[in-house]
Amino acid sequence: MSAIAEIAHRGHARRRLRIDGWRWGGRIFLVFMLLYTALPMVWMLITSIKSGFAAMQFPPQWWPDQPTLASYQKLLDPQNSVGQDFLRFFWNSLFVSTTTTILSVIVAVPAAYAFSRFTFPGRNFLFFAVLLRNMFPAVIFLVPLFILMRAIGLVNTHGSLVLTYLTFGLPLAIWLLKGFYDNIPVQLEQAARIDGATRFQAFFLIVMPLSAPGIIATAIYSFIGAWNEYIYAYTFLSKNEQLTLPVGIQRFFSENTTDFPGLMAASFMMSVPVVVLFLVLQRYFVRALTEGAVKH
Amino acid sequence: MTILTGKAETRRRLQPYRSGVLRKIWEHRADYAYVLPAIAVMLIVIAYPIYYTIELSFFNTPPGLQIRDKIFVGLDNYVAILTSPVFWTVTSNTLIWTVGSTFISFVLGFACALALHRDFVGRGILRAILIIPWVISAVAGSYIWKWIYHSDFGIIGAVLVGLGWADRPPNFIDSVSTVLPSLIVVNIWREFPFAMIMMMAGLQTVPDQLLRAAKVDGANAWQRFWHVTFPHLRNVSTVTILLLAVANFNSFIIPWIMTGGGPSNASHIWITHIYELAFGRQRWGVASAYSVLLFLILMSLGYFYVRALSGNEQKDGSQ
Repeated sequence: MSAIAEIAHRGHARRRLRIDGWRWGGRIFLVFMLLYTALPMVWMLITSIKSGFAAMQFPPQWWPDQPTLASYQKLLDPQNSVGQDFLRFFWNSLFVSTTTTILSVIVAVPAAYAFSRFTFPGRNFLFFAVLLRNMFPAVIFLVPLFILMRAIGLVNTHGSLVLTYLTFGLPLAIWLLKGFYDNIPVQLEQAARIDGATRFQAFFLIVMPLSAPGIIATAIYSFIGAWNEYIYAYTFLSKNEQLTLPVGIQRFFSENTTDFPGLMAASFMMSVPVVVLFLVLQRYFVRALTEGAVKH
Repeated sequence: MTILTGKAETRRRLQPYRSGVLRKIWEHRADYAYVLPAIAVMLIVIAYPIYYTIELSFFNTPPGLQIRDKIFVGLDNYVAILTSPVFWTVTSNTLIWTVGSTFISFVLGFACALALHRDFVGRGILRAILIIPWVISAVAGSYIWKWIYHSDFGIIGAVLVGLGWADRPPNFIDSVSTVLPSLIVVNIWREFPFAMIMMMAGLQTVPDQLLRAAKVDGANAWQRFWHVTFPHLRNVSTVTILLLAVANFNSFIIPWIMTGGGPSNASHIWITHIYELAFGRQRWGVASAYSVLLFLILMSLGYFYVRALSGNEQKDGSQ
């Protein structure tokens, strides 16, 4: 090997080594983040298959002597009172979240379309006014909304939740969908108009199907938001029959704080629907969520 | 003559405004039909509450939300807030909470995005696992961590004792000195995935040619990151940090469920404090005045948010 080639070779090897250093640093960091993220969830699962007695030991059992699904059986058993409550909370959450999702899509789709396509006076103002809703915490609206809901007779009904969830779902829904409509060429609609379609037909038959991924993303966002919402449900609902899961499991276990296996099992069951929904459809969701922010 | 008048009248009926903004609005009346439902919902559930909160902040109201019996007190509620020592405790907690959570979540999320940028086996699964804390309910997350921090049976305490680093399990969330950092750890656990998602999307827009050109010019990995990648991500970083800051400033569930603001206000932040004033102690007037102050702070943050967003749009238009 000539001297020059040898030097070049050495330089190359050194550069490879340096790049590997970054790569390995990145991997070690990812392992650390994986532990930080996953260990709490693993510990939730391990605790949920312990008996109440096994959970109350120090030092803790890393893996239970006698794993048991008793906590899950209890939660899912419509015969006993714990199961009755839990299943009812589950259905309440499902009902409120689904209704909110359907209504947000119905309201957000035309609004986002208008913000994307039309240039009516006040368009920018209205768009940013809608976006600003994201800035305000639920607590600011709690007292007046509570009074308002009481005045129109919606306190202690799921209607009060659907109405309020709609407002914090809408801003992001409109933002996400507007991003999608912006990317659909106007020419497609113009072609349809020339072929004799009305503006509404062009929108409904041409644009709607093309924006399906955006609509799916919007729906997931609304659903997850409504499913996880706590503070309004905590304030507006008082009867046991109406509670949604986040408030329900809190009521449930504040009386019996030692039942950590039961609490962990309930937390797990509460997480399953949204995690599954998210993992199946995350492609659409992540794309829609980040589209608006990364344009440059 | 009559025919002409008739025509003019018809035209006037269809187009009552001859010029100016009103005419423009009238011309676009069909467009408003699309946004009307959204605006109506937002008005009822946002504009009205904001107005009502401002009004209520000038009144003293008896407990039980009997709003008819309210008494006008002028600026007394605001004076009461600013002169109370709790205000300063809560404000400093809020600052530590917001800045700490936002900064660390962003850095960790960004670092994860960089580490995940290159393809390797299992990348998709790893990314999915890292996102999960952000998707599950904050209530569930709070209970999980409450159990992890438990002062008798918590796993972190057990590990510390097992390693001989502590005589007995520490009281992470029952002690004034450790409660806030402990809650911030939980909050970061829930929030860094959001920063990660945003920054991963941002990284995909960094042009490969530029990075390769920098490499040819002899820039090392750090220089390439600092001079090429990072400047490209300025927009997405601004938006991400602002969204995180607002979300953290507005957090409620984690401190409320894990500690309820205790011990002795050490983990009360503005939002939990307002909630407690309103629904715990039924001091609606003071709570409303707090909300108005919060509103003002958020409006100024919102100004930057909107500017960051419209900055994006302008650049988009110039392309």
